[in-house]
Order: sequence, then structure tokens, then C-alpha cells
Amino acid sequence: MLDKGVHPHFDHLIDLTKGEINRKIFSDPEIYQTELKQIFARCWLFLGHTSQLPNENDFFTAYMGEDPVIVTRHSDGKIGAFLNMCRHRGNRVCRADSGNQRMFTCPFHGWTFANNGNLKTVPGFKQCYHEELDMESHGLVPVAKIDNYKGMIFATFDAKAPSLEDFLGDMAWYLDMMLDRREGGIEVLPGTHKWRIKCNWKFPVDNFIGDSYHGPVSHGSAWESGFEGMPRRKKGYGYEGFQINAGNGHGFGARWAENEEQVYEMALPEFLDYEHDRFPETHSRLGDLRGMHLSPMHGSIFPNFSMLWQSGNIRVWHPRGVSETEGWSWCFVDKKAAPDHRDMVRIHDLQRHGTSGTWEQDDVDNWVQSTKSSKGYVGRQFAQNLSMGVAHEIEDPKTIHPDMRGRVAGFQNEINQRQLYAQWAKMMNGDTPDVPGATV
Amino acid sequence: MSTDIRAISDIDLWFSITQFYSREARYLDDLEFDKWVGLLAEDLRYWMPIVSNRIGRGIGSELTERGHLAHFEDDYVSMSNRVKRLATGRAWAETPPGRTNHMVSNVEIVGKENKMVQVTSKFLIYRSHMETDQEVFSGTRKDVLREDADTTWKVADRTIVLDHAVLMQKSLGIFF
Repeated sequence: MLDKGVHPHFDHLIDLTKGEINRKIFSDPEIYQTELKQIFARCWLFLGHTSQLPNENDFFTAYMGEDPVIVTRHSDGKIGAFLNMCRHRGNRVCRADSGNQRMFTCPFHGWTFANNGNLKTVPGFKQCYHEELDMESHGLVPVAKIDNYKGMIFATFDAKAPSLEDFLGDMAWYLDMMLDRREGGIEVLPGTHKWRIKCNWKFPVDNFIGDSYHGPVSHGSAWESGFEGMPRRKKGYGYEGFQINAGNGHGFGARWAENEEQVYEMALPEFLDYEHDRFPETHSRLGDLRGMHLSPMHGSIFPNFSMLWQSGNIRVWHPRGVSETEGWSWCFVDKKAAPDHRDMVRIHDLQRHGTSGTWEQDDVDNWVQSTKSSKGYVGRQFAQNLSMGVAHEIEDPKTIHPDMRGRVAGFQNEINQRQLYAQWAKMMNGDTPDVPGATV
Repeated sequence: MSTDIRAISDIDLWFSITQFYSREARYLDDLEFDKWVGLLAEDLRYWMPIVSNRIGRGIGSELTERGHLAHFEDDYVSMSNRVKRLATGRAWAETPPGRTNHMVSNVEIVGKENKMVQVTSKFLIYRSHMETDQEVFSGTRKDVLREDADTTWKVADRTIVLDHAVLMQKSLGIFF
């Protein structure tokens, strides 16, 4: 049985009417342990993209919270995910980050598992175990549910979790602006940036979901030195756009184009030809709102997936203790994009985002500083301020456009961060996870 | 310096290259980034692929290839822009700047042709930042250096392989 202890209530740490967050949630080791259980063992977590497993028996390793998993494509074509943990002594059965294998052998005593999780051989099954070990119940621990939305693979360890479709809700419809704007969708390029940041995992998620306010200050140096971002925008804080909260803690920020001409105005010069090339297809696939008006920039899917839609960047923030996070960042391109455009997207992305990114470096430093400030007793007596635009949500988003979904506010509004922490409190207060087959 | 490097003895050539690398490291450690950019060729290729863990049949394919994601895939213009960014005074991750020591060793000349030499070397870089942040970077550089009348050599092509699969450094804000 899993620990089913009664949880303290977390609502009092989040004040949505004032937009104030208790800094304790970024520094308390007990709260962190509860997050591993209430959030990372319950939510659907992003593992990777189907284009990373093109062939039978391909695999890559990933994490769900602090739990290592292997994601495999079995010879029957099915994608599965399993704890990377031998059922004997718990050692990792796979020490590679990716590859192609049918079997995984534990380096400790040699228990060998197939890539569908089944325990196949145990050395000394007869002589040492007297044929009494139940092979069937000692396979690799599978996730409770695994599914993909247009190629994006998610899994959860909680048998009681809603379907992926329900979990994503309206966010799936908005994600089509990334995943379905061209025929064939996207593919993820080989290569993952992986790096450790001494920050609480929630700071980067918060930054990506709704902090369009930090750009001019944090990223001014990059923007001025030739590392422009996109969509291009006017200087200052007044530019047009919206923060859109899709529910369940998911949200994003987008610029607004009144017409096709403005779509091109926002494009970087090197991407302009491609924007002309893809626009008619996107517009006919997704319609006016998603195919023309909205130019999404930044967003997060609860709890720890973030994206920079038009920079071709997606990432996951793996928790590594209350004060440390491991970023995993990938570059994606439209499957239909020609080689020269792929080169431009990749170079645009890596020179701005990820390990050496001229934007990312300064973000990382912000999150480290925010984490440090959450450690002092006195500092913690003063709230984290997310009050921007607290009384300024747009009352009826349908007045912006009849197809608009979710809750909407102006581009400079911390609605998405507030809703992120509201979802955090909801999950922390909620039911405990039901990990199928758990034995302790 | 002779215009035909084939005429230089190996020991003189080796000495010239190690002196060049020491000077390059000093520019970086002393934050003289404009001088450092002066050591880069205008047709520079500056590339740091990503290393990952492989086993079995995957051994030998640990590095990402051209066309895959990399830590750096830069040219002369983008490296100059990275340096320009540091000079704005608002590159917060380097404000105040980190203190580095670039140690370059195991310098081996693996090829020479006309005015070009191919050189492999190892590096160990220590970086201290703010109060207590400490970072160590270790790895290998594979360079193509081109003879230059002003600076003795210019870096025309540099491939950097960091040893870290998961970087324990908060970012790659320094140069290699």
C-alpha cells in the first residue's frame, strides 16, 4: 500500500484574489516530498515525441518526477513506458539515454526484461529460486496510463487519472497551433539539452506559462545584440496580445494579428519566406482564430512541460530536490519543412534557448535568485507577488473572437501564473495516487 | 613566421600553437572578449555537439551529428553577437562576470596542409560566479587553425566535446 496519510491543506498558501503566493512552496523540503506524490505521481507527464521512436525496439530514457523510466516501441509497434528499475534490487536495467534493444538486462544479477516489461529470464531460476519466483508479477513496473496527443507522448502513474484528452482539455485544441498547423505535424530533432539549475522546478514553469513582463528587461541584451525573438514585437509593454488560460493549470501567451499582413510583419526576416509558404495551409486547417489571429509565443502544460512555439522549442523541468531542477530541451520543426528552414529553426533555437541560449542564460539566473530568496526565514514572511491585472480579466472572451476558449486577459497579466498555482493547490489537496500493483 | 608551415620544425610549430592557445585563454579569462573575437576567422565554424550515454550497438554514436541539435552551432557573426551581448551591461547571467581559468593541455598537431593545421587539445575550465557558484568544464577541442599575419593563427573551425551528458553548470555562458 502507498502512504495514504492525511495531507495538510494547501489553499492558504495561495491567495488568488490578492495574487500572493507563500514563498514556502519554493523552499520547504516536506512540501517538495508531497509534490512528488500529489503532483508528479498523479499528473500526465510529457515523455517525448513519437518521432523519437521511429523503429521497432527503439527506446529512450526519461523521468517522471524523480523516477527514471524507459520509453520503448515494442516489436508490435506499441509504445510503452516502464520504471527503469529492476524488480529485484532496484538497479537501473537501462544505462543508455537512447538506442535500439529488445531486452534490458540488469547489470547486478542479470534479471532480463523484454521491452514490453515482461520478466524473461532470471539466472538460477531453478537452482537458486526453486522455480518459486512469480515471473509474471515481477516485470518492469508499467505506467498506469500512456497515450499521445498528435505525437506528444504523455504518461501517468495514477490509475485514477482522467484521460489525456480530459487532462489537456482546451489546451489540446490550442496545441494544434503547434502540432497540426501543417500536414504531418511536427518532428523532434535528435539531441536533448540536459542541464541542472539550482532553482525550484516551479519557477521556470511559471516563467514560461505567463511571464511576458520580464522580456524587455531580462532579455534586452540578447534582443539588442542580434538575437531577436519571434514573433517580433514593438518595444515596451503595450503590444497587442493575450494571456490565455486553458484550464487545469495549462496556459500560454500569444500575440494578436488582425490580418494576414500582420502575421508576416511579426515574422523574422529569415523566416518570412517560410511563413508565406505555410500560412495558407495553416489557415485552412485551423481557421481564423488559431490559423491567423493568434501567434503563440510561450506556454506551459501543468505541471512541468513548457514551450516556445515559434522558436521550435519544447522542454520539461524535472524536479531534483526542492532547490534543483534538470531542464531537458528539444528543438522541433514542421515535418513538411525543407532542409534549409530546418537549419534556420535549429540555429535560431539553440542560439537563444537551452544550454548556451542567449535568452535562457539570463532566465536561469533569475530562477536561481528567486529560489535563493525563498530560503531565509524573514524573506519567507513576504509573499511572492503575482497580482498583475488581478481584477482585469476579460469578462467575456467570446467578444474577442467567438471561437475563443478558456479564460483570457491582456498580454501583460499574471492570470496564467495564478491559475498554475491554483492547480498546484488543487492537486496538493486532492486524492492520493493509485499506483497499480504497488507492493508496499 | 614562415609562410609555408611545412618548412617549420615540429617543435617550433608546437611552440607557436601552445603560445597561441595560452594567449587565447588569457583573453577569455581577462574578459578581453573583443581581442578573443579577433582570433576567430570570419568563416568560422564553432560547434559543440551533445554527448549522450549509449550501450551495445549504440557505442560510437554518442555525439549528435550535423543537422541535429547542438549546444553551440555558431559562426563568426553569432559569436561576435554573443560577445556584444556581454558588453551591454545587461547580460545578467554574467553581471557581475564570472571568474574563469581556461587550462589548455595535451596539444597535439594531427595534420598540416599549406597554411592550415589540425590540432587536438584538452581543456579544463574552472568558473567561480557570484558568492559560491562553482563550475568545472572538461573536454576536448578539435581545431583547424589558419596561419595569420597579424595574430599568428586564427581559429577557422572548432569542434568542442564537453564530457558532461547532463551539464552540472547552470548555463554555457562562457566560451571554449
